Amino acid sequence: MMQRFTQVLVALTAAALTSTVIAEDTSRELDAEVQDLKKEVLALNRELFLLEEELLFPANSQVALFVSMDIGDFFALDAVQVKINGKEVANYLYSEKEVEALIRGGVHRLHIENLKAGEHELVAFFVGKGPQGRDYRRGAEMTFEKGLGAKYMELRISDRQSKLQPEFFISEWE
Amino acid sequence: MKSFIAFVLGLALLLATSTLHADGDVGDPVVVRDPYYGDVLFHFYKGDYFNAIVRLTAAQKRNSLTHHDEDAELLRGGLALSYGLHDEAGQIFDQLLASKTRPEVRDRTWFFLAKIRYQRGYLDGAAQALSAIGEDLPKELDAERQMLAANVAIEQGRFDDAIAALDGWKGPRGWSDYARFNLGVALVRAGRFAEGANWLDRVGRLGDDRPEMVGLRDKANVALGYTWLQNEAPERARPVLQRVRLNGPFSNKALLGVGWADSDSGDYRAALSPWQALSDRDLLDPAVQESLLAVPYALGKLNATGQAATKYERAIVLFAQEHQRLEDAIADIQNGRMIDRLLAVEESADDASGWYWRLDNMPDATESRYLYLLMAEHEFQEALKNYRDMVALRENLLGWLDKTRVFREIMDTRKAGYAARLPRIEASLAASDMNELRARHQALSAQLDRIEGERDIYALATRREQQVADEIALVEENPVLRYSTPEVEDVRTRIKLMKGVMQWQAEQDFPARIWRQRKQLHDINRIIVAAERARLAVDDARVNEPERLLDFDLRVATLTPRIELMLARVEQTLERQRAFLDGLAVEELRTQQARLDTYTVQARFALAAVYDRATAVSSNGEGQE
Repeated sequence: MMQRFTQVLVALTAAALTSTVIAEDTSRELDAEVQDLKKEVLALNRELFLLEEELLFPANSQVALFVSMDIGDFFALDAVQVKINGKEVANYLYSEKEVEALIRGGVHRLHIENLKAGEHELVAFFVGKGPQGRDYRRGAEMTFEKGLGAKYMELRISDRQSKLQPEFFISEWE
Repeated sequence: MKSFIAFVLGLALLLATSTLHADGDVGDPVVVRDPYYGDVLFHFYKGDYFNAIVRLTAAQKRNSLTHHDEDAELLRGGLALSYGLHDEAGQIFDQLLASKTRPEVRDRTWFFLAKIRYQRGYLDGAAQALSAIGEDLPKELDAERQMLAANVAIEQGRFDDAIAALDGWKGPRGWSDYARFNLGVALVRAGRFAEGANWLDRVGRLGDDRPEMVGLRDKANVALGYTWLQNEAPERARPVLQRVRLNGPFSNKALLGVGWADSDSGDYRAALSPWQALSDRDLLDPAVQESLLAVPYALGKLNATGQAATKYERAIVLFAQEHQRLEDAIADIQNGRMIDRLLAVEESADDASGWYWRLDNMPDATESRYLYLLMAEHEFQEALKNYRDMVALRENLLGWLDKTRVFREIMDTRKAGYAARLPRIEASLAASDMNELRARHQALSAQLDRIEGERDIYALATRREQQVADEIALVEENPVLRYSTPEVEDVRTRIKLMKGVMQWQAEQDFPARIWRQRKQLHDINRIIVAAERARLAVDDARVNEPERLLDFDLRVATLTPRIELMLARVEQTLERQRAFLDGLAVEELRTQQARLDTYTVQARFALAAVYDRATAVSSNGEGQE
């Protein structure tokens, strides 16, 4: 009886091993195909991404707004609202993961649009929790000149160690 | 922008820490100088590797990462790894690291490449990457490298290399024990029993009480116990199997083994005790299933024929029930419901794609209890991850297909707008002569130069001053003024005085008037320059807009079929991947059914033998009567 069980077990193990080998081959093939597809779809996405930007936001009229943040000890960001020439163009709610990405040095492209050459007024409101967890809403504004070529504006949240307060700036990204 | 970030993923996250993905530590501070570089990092830190790669390569193509050239390429390599494109990552690192990169960076890169390749089962690639590591790998990574080298060697069957790697082990406590266990098992499988048993015994006697190490110890003791059973040394198997905890995940196998050790030694009464304890446990475990046969086997040996027959009959019924449950689970899988359920469980849990995603929760479904072990396996997880990535690619491509339709509409609107505006613009252009304007400005400018040069103070006189001057000139021409009378003399003196006052006034005002004229000319010039620029833009649009629209047309026209083609391939791969996953699951369940079938046959044979023996005993009894 014992001998029979052992034989059965050995046979089963061998069968399992053979099927694993076959499965592994298919798995490799599929994995290679998946990698190829990912690569090709990425390349295609790059072309489409560039086409979309060039078509919708030509460099001559393009204005892009970027949000950046350092440290984040004195301000926990919830949302940023932006008005250009009095019209609201962005109202973005940040997830926890996105705030973390900002603190770690990521820069969020909040908004992109086309503007005519000339002077424009940009107003940004930063909403979140300030020092001691209090609700905090601060604004920053700037008038900028749009000339030829793309214009990049930075909306920056920065910790001011000396005052233990957050600071908010708008500047042109040189 | 003074934003403190990790010194590119490739270096600080990927290479300076042992973590590869976006949850790594922040390294040295660096300044993001190109906004689009920061944008890529933002997507990377969010765990959105796909979009990070798209944005990075797009930015590279339009040359908008000029301040981060080399960093960007390292980042691309790191992102490719994070997204599971290890071949691509290897090529990037190869190109980048071959020449100018610092040795410690190169070594770290090869180390992580080796790790990824090993995890994906590319043993040759892993071995090649390991061999490329030089002398500059940081000490904290060296232990892991050593273990990796041992594991790769074991799986490639290079046991002596693995032994050499583990003999010189200087890493943290516990790390190498996993490799020692793997080596022991591999040596036993290769027929080198004594050596394998020795390695397993070392792990089986570990004094480490951490939960994962206690689990490993149990596992090693079970493997060693069965090795002794296979080598017909039950007296050596028993004490080893008795070292396994009774409440751990390996207790079923250990109980079964202890029973076999007793049975092989001829002590069937002793064997009954572990086997009976085992037969009351969950039938899902093969060890429990086997115990349903083992108990009546021992009872038979103890001549308890009646009890043995009852137990065999019970086993046959239980096996049949379990077989049917497996059949139901297989039908469910073949209806294509398994994968959707698996992905639905995880849908809300995490949206990250790529290498680091894994299924952590099991759906509440029939097949789950049978597939628990399979689903925990690397191969299944990998295949599921690929399936999930393909679903994301399909959504992405469908999204672009919609967008290209919008692009076409935008271009049609632009073409129509251009056609409608062109005649008006051309008429307006024809009516305005920029050259003439420019010439007039130049003439005025030259005239002002002359006036200033010659100090022609009356040239800038006001209209009133001109009138007064004209009137004085008229009076001077009066013939009466030729007479020499006191009255005429008085008039002449007055005229002279008036002319003097006028001249003084004009002299006084001349600099201010010149300045005003210059300023006006300057303002006019500015307007002309703006008009000329606008004219150039209009000319450019007239000439180039049709070409630009044509270029967009062509791009959309060539990209659309590419999207469609890719979509078809993704759909096809999705189906293959689904079939592969279903196949793995069904295969696992069929294996479990086959085992039950075999046990059922065994039980029927044994039952028949018991009946035969009972009949024989009964016939002998009747004969004797």
